[in-house]
Amino acid sequence: MSAHAVPAADPSAAHREPIKAGLDAAALEKILVEQFSAKRDTRDRWNLTLIVARDRLRDAVRHLRDDAALRFNQLLDVAGIDYLAYPGHRGARYAVTYLFKSTVFRHRLALKVELDEDDAVVATLSDLFPIADWAERETWDQIGIVFSGHPNLKRLLNHHEFVGHPLRKDYPCQKRQKLSVNDPMIDQLEGVLLAQGWQVLDRGATGNGIPPGAPGTSLAGPGSESQPAPTGSNTGAPR
Amino acid sequence: MKALSPAGELVELMTINVGPSHPATHGALRAHCALDGETIIAAACEMGYLHRGFEKMIEQGTYQMVLPYTDRLNYCSAMMNNIAFCKAVERMFGVTVPERCVRVRVVLLELSRIIDHLVCVCANLVDLGALTNFWYFFNVREEVYKIWEKLCGARLTNTVTRIGGMYRDVYPAFADDVLAVLPLVESAVAEVRGLVEKNRIFIDRTKDIGVVTADQAIAWGWTGPCLRASGVDRDLRKDEPYYGYDEYTFDTVIGQTGDTYDRIMVRMIEMLESASICRQALAKLKPGPINTSDARLSLPSRSQVYHDMEALINSFKLIYEGVRPPAGECYDALEAANGELGFLIVSDGGTNPYRIKVRPPCFTQWAAFGPMMQGAMLSDVAAALGSINIIAGELDR
Amino acid sequence: MTYKPVPLPPGPAPGPAKPDQRGSENLLGDTVVTSTAEALINWGRRNSLWPFPFGTACCAIEFMGTVSSMHDLSRFGAELVRFSPRQADVIIIAGTITYKQAPILRQIYDQMCEPKWVISAGACATSGGFYDCYCTVPGIDEIIPVDIYIAGCPPRPEAFLEAIVQLQKKVDRETLRVSQALGTEPRRDRIAVGA
Ligand code: SF4
Repeated sequence: MSAHAVPAADPSAAHREPIKAGLDAAALEKILVEQFSAKRDTRDRWNLTLIVARDRLRDAVRHLRDDAALRFNQLLDVAGIDYLAYPGHRGARYAVTYLFKSTVFRHRLALKVELDEDDAVVATLSDLFPIADWAERETWDQIGIVFSGHPNLKRLLNHHEFVGHPLRKDYPCQKRQKLSVNDPMIDQLEGVLLAQGWQVLDRGATGNGIPPGAPGTSLAGPGSESQPAPTGSNTGAPR
Repeated sequence: MKALSPAGELVELMTINVGPSHPATHGALRAHCALDGETIIAAACEMGYLHRGFEKMIEQGTYQMVLPYTDRLNYCSAMMNNIAFCKAVERMFGVTVPERCVRVRVVLLELSRIIDHLVCVCANLVDLGALTNFWYFFNVREEVYKIWEKLCGARLTNTVTRIGGMYRDVYPAFADDVLAVLPLVESAVAEVRGLVEKNRIFIDRTKDIGVVTADQAIAWGWTGPCLRASGVDRDLRKDEPYYGYDEYTFDTVIGQTGDTYDRIMVRMIEMLESASICRQALAKLKPGPINTSDARLSLPSRSQVYHDMEALINSFKLIYEGVRPPAGECYDALEAANGELGFLIVSDGGTNPYRIKVRPPCFTQWAAFGPMMQGAMLSDVAAALGSINIIAGELDR
Repeated sequence: MTYKPVPLPPGPAPGPAKPDQRGSENLLGDTVVTSTAEALINWGRRNSLWPFPFGTACCAIEFMGTVSSMHDLSRFGAELVRFSPRQADVIIIAGTITYKQAPILRQIYDQMCEPKWVISAGACATSGGFYDCYCTVPGIDEIIPVDIYIAGCPPRPEAFLEAIVQLQKKVDRETLRVSQALGTEPRRDRIAVGA
């Protein structure tokens, strides 16, 4: 502990212990291969990534998070990859890579799920890791992977009138899309209220002058309109 | 809006939109809040107002052409992003940079951390109305800018590293200049601490405001100073040492409660630790080559180019095509000023990156901001927002 | 307090006044300065430009540097940074403008009171910079009229100062008549600095 640090009264000493040595890549691989029939990613030359089938993903993640010897308690990032233009690539077009890290042990791991073009759907992790909520929204926005069971799968980086998914390889880099009005975000706010047990009776005059029922402002809850149909087609770009 | 509370009361909630053009949101963040009186009942946060297509743009050019874009991720500490990206690509090549380069990079990393924290803390204090500290801190930042200018000519967006080394070796008086700046940092920190640390107004506005407990911070994936302020002693420099950080003696600075006060103070004191690392690294700085000799990354010397056919071809290839990391996928991270800054690089063996996903440290902080502010007062938003240091450039990319 | 007229200085001997002696300066001595309303108002406007920093990205950090004590924007009467568009005279767009941001920028510009001026700081605001991408506006002059363009990525603080000085010169040249009589904006001549 630092000599400078604010003297600690002591709430959670466990968090101040030095990090423990973790499992090495081979041991992690063994666990995941045996219990979740994962396989090593052939592209991974840095001993990090394992591929799991998408129906085993949630089990694997729950195990990684909760097992006393693993404790992968941080989801660092969710990255979608589109292999459309990858030279010599065969197999599923999309992949989602989840990066995990532990604050208890010194080990890291990436799990990868491969997704076919016409069925780019994977179960959400937003109930296991709160940060997955936004990270998955970003992946949906940028690559167009649908996360089933996600509470509010809205665009995160692009504006709400955007069509298509810019990081797909068939989206032209300079294809600009203008925005006419900003998202009033009333539906999102109501979603947060609903999730806390509030009940919105009347939007009143506070909806920025937007009449109830205007597009994108449904009272029915968050994401009821933005929840996309699980389809692989990229409406924003011609093939 | 009229709403029924969970307890069944009928409450008239006021909705108020903060940002994106609001002084405390620094131009690119938006929080839509529902208020009961002055208390925030619910907050929906939005981002993307500075989404400028970093990940799409860098697929259009070579690996070297990514470097200027990385400057503009966290523009308060541009060099850190340069170094983080170069480190990730070097990891793909399996190349280690020469010792002199490592030492110089450590000095640059820590100086960048200092100036990042300077901006974060002073902007936070300005949001609280403590304008004087802004002048104190920015004077020091200007002194560091002078070093940057001598190093590469630019003040803010430096692009000073190259894959496999540096743009050039540091100038002869570099060490003296850095050693002259460090006392200014320390005295500025001392002055500002003297102004705020025991200041009643400051304490009232920051103590127990925006509290994030250790478990919450971990669950949200927080890293860096904000995680440490919540009392979790995790720092990549200690836990997974790179660039010889295990050779330096320094302390990780941790808070106890994870409130706004702790986050500001952790940053403040981290600057002192960084200054000490700078001194240690400079003491170990020895003459030597600054760029790796690996022909896949570094240009051959001019005399070789003029006399050796292979060197000539290599030089042509590197300049016209750029470097070609081996095909595959690799993730590498370092402890940036805001937390873990990582790059997941997918290479197809070609000269252009196939896909690069940045793991921006403040994404996790901003995602947690809405839940963090529930139950707080509206005026606390500015204080808490400044303390988690959201840099829109890296948040939205 | 009762008003006491200031005694007039003894004038020239009575007689038919010559045309150049009839001005109020001749009557009142050096207690007054005469000017045109236009020059007076422009003088006031020029020396108290209150900027609204619409800073979104890296350029805004350099604007902070410009305001700080080393470069000291207040030497040019423009240090009173206002975050309300209603109180600002000049909006400084420092940073990349994306399509998501564009309606907000337009709204803020519309909320500013006349007379108002626009400084586009940096490559991004001026042309989109090196972000030629699906989400960036290629220059804010697609959205709002611009008076001063500053080159640089980011512009140095000196360039910000130069922009303020150029804007002051421009304010001096402006006439009240066009905007008052027609209710339209004065014709904007565009100036580039810092290149
Ligand atoms: S012009 Fe350069 S420094 Fe300014 S906002 Fe654009 S990228 Fe950033």
